[in-house]
Amino acid sequence: MTPYEYTTAAARRNLILPVCAFVASALLLPWVGAGPISLARVLHHQSPDYEILVQLRVTRTLLALVAGGALSLAGSLFQAMLRDALATPYTLGISAGASLGAVAVIAAGWQMAWGIPATWFGSLAGAFAILTLVLGGFSRRIRISAFSLLLSGIAVNSVCAACIIILGGFAGMSRTFSIARWLIGSVDSTSFASLGVLTVVVLALAVVIVSQARSWNLLAVGDQWAASRGVHVPALLRTGYLAGSVLVAGAIALTGPIGFVGLIVPHLVRSRISPDHRVLLPSVFLFGGALLAACDALGRIVLPPAEIPAGAILALIGGPYLVWAIHQRRPSEEM
Amino acid sequence: MSPLLEVANLQISYGNRIILRSATLTAQSGEFLALVGVNGAGKSTLLDIIAGFRRPASGSVAIAGCDQRDWNLRELSQRVSHLPQTVHADLPYTAEQLVAMGRYPHTDRWFESDEDHSFIREAMKRTHCWEHRHRNFGTLSGGERQRVLLAACLAQNASILLLDEPSTFLDIEQQLHCFNVLREEAKTGKLCIAVTHDLNLALTHCSRIVVLADGVIAHDLPASRAPEDEAWLRCFSSQLRIGKTPAGRPWVWYQ
Repeated sequence: MTPYEYTTAAARRNLILPVCAFVASALLLPWVGAGPISLARVLHHQSPDYEILVQLRVTRTLLALVAGGALSLAGSLFQAMLRDALATPYTLGISAGASLGAVAVIAAGWQMAWGIPATWFGSLAGAFAILTLVLGGFSRRIRISAFSLLLSGIAVNSVCAACIIILGGFAGMSRTFSIARWLIGSVDSTSFASLGVLTVVVLALAVVIVSQARSWNLLAVGDQWAASRGVHVPALLRTGYLAGSVLVAGAIALTGPIGFVGLIVPHLVRSRISPDHRVLLPSVFLFGGALLAACDALGRIVLPPAEIPAGAILALIGGPYLVWAIHQRRPSEEM
Repeated sequence: MSPLLEVANLQISYGNRIILRSATLTAQSGEFLALVGVNGAGKSTLLDIIAGFRRPASGSVAIAGCDQRDWNLRELSQRVSHLPQTVHADLPYTAEQLVAMGRYPHTDRWFESDEDHSFIREAMKRTHCWEHRHRNFGTLSGGERQRVLLAACLAQNASILLLDEPSTFLDIEQQLHCFNVLREEAKTGKLCIAVTHDLNLALTHCSRIVVLADGVIAHDLPASRAPEDEAWLRCFSSQLRIGKTPAGRPWVWYQ
């Protein structure tokens, strides 16, 4: 076997598990829930099994798969750009901006615009406002240091959190409850139209990001390292920040700010499968989707008939994991 | 035939501090230049400008007869490779993955071809790090890391190698080996420019000594003539003297 054949075979082997996890989640998890669903009744389009499966569980599982993939992909992207394995869009403040935008829309009582949830527009506006604020503030510099960006992120997170609290205070009882529920982060059934738009946007951006996997490898080492090998670093960073922000804003507009999926999955894949972005990025997308869908399914069956939001399940898993990861962190895993 | 590298009247400042006032340098393929000077003399800045990382306030850099700005980034990186002074050490990649990055400008393939792998293997064997190829870069010692980074530069197969203190962290045996490898590279027609503070390594391995002082190339002389002209040593310290080893090689020592 030549080295080229060996490398490609190893990459294919590494992708088998993520692909199986993603496909298995898509096929099996819609059947998981508080009450059993009869396959025979579904095949005959009989109520309520057919409606529960197709209109509620399938859309919900697909949303979890797409949103989980998007958030995980964005996480690994920000970790490569900031060269810190614990960086996520949350540490930079982009998620906080998107959350503030979405909360403002909920507080204002806007629900749909052109058949699309209005939270999308709010979260996109919020994410881009923060992106412009954080990156624009440094626009005269050739390169922004990761330290400066992370420090700005802390400030942005604080300001956005304060604004969300203030908005909640003025929103009235029912909307405050909606805001609180949204902020926990959950995967609820959604329309096929919304799901379709999100899927198209996420897949298009995933293709753009994954197609530049070799460049992300170089950027994760250093700016000069990448530039001296022919990477146009400023253009790549622009692509990364824009694509990452749209992925995050698009996903959390429908799910709420689900944390940790963008942290746990890249960390696990990097240490257990491969740090090479040619394998890492597709694996992270597939595992991220499968993990969020599994957490959502778990939330449906833990305390029936009540449902625990996927964000809460992920936080319960992700919080202790993060603490463990920090304690276990070896220098070689810090990127 | 135009020189492989032509640097003319480079000027650059950081704030009010002038780093390069008017640096001019010409070098041919097959030469091995030692770029020396005191701390803050602008050696790394000069390499950064040649590599295209920094734009000078004025002056020009021509590579193989063309202005540096006329090459696109990929063409430039096929001709110029750069070993930085420091690289973020805590990387999750294996040594082989890092060296493979040197092949980036030469291929559009998703994975490196067999030809790329032969460059990678050859470079790692030459720098004595082939046995570490499966080890995580972060677990390597400082010297082992430096050899891996040098291998990545060699795997890039560029005609100009810019090396910012390539012997940092290396033990004496590996320092000699590193400079021998660079000398062999120069013999194959490459141009190597190494920033170093080890004047004896420079004198014994390089073909030219280029001293950067006060923002200009203060001295530029063949290494063989260095013992005859001690003026360049005054740029470093008045205590430095130059003599010869029993084997007749120039040797710098201090009183």
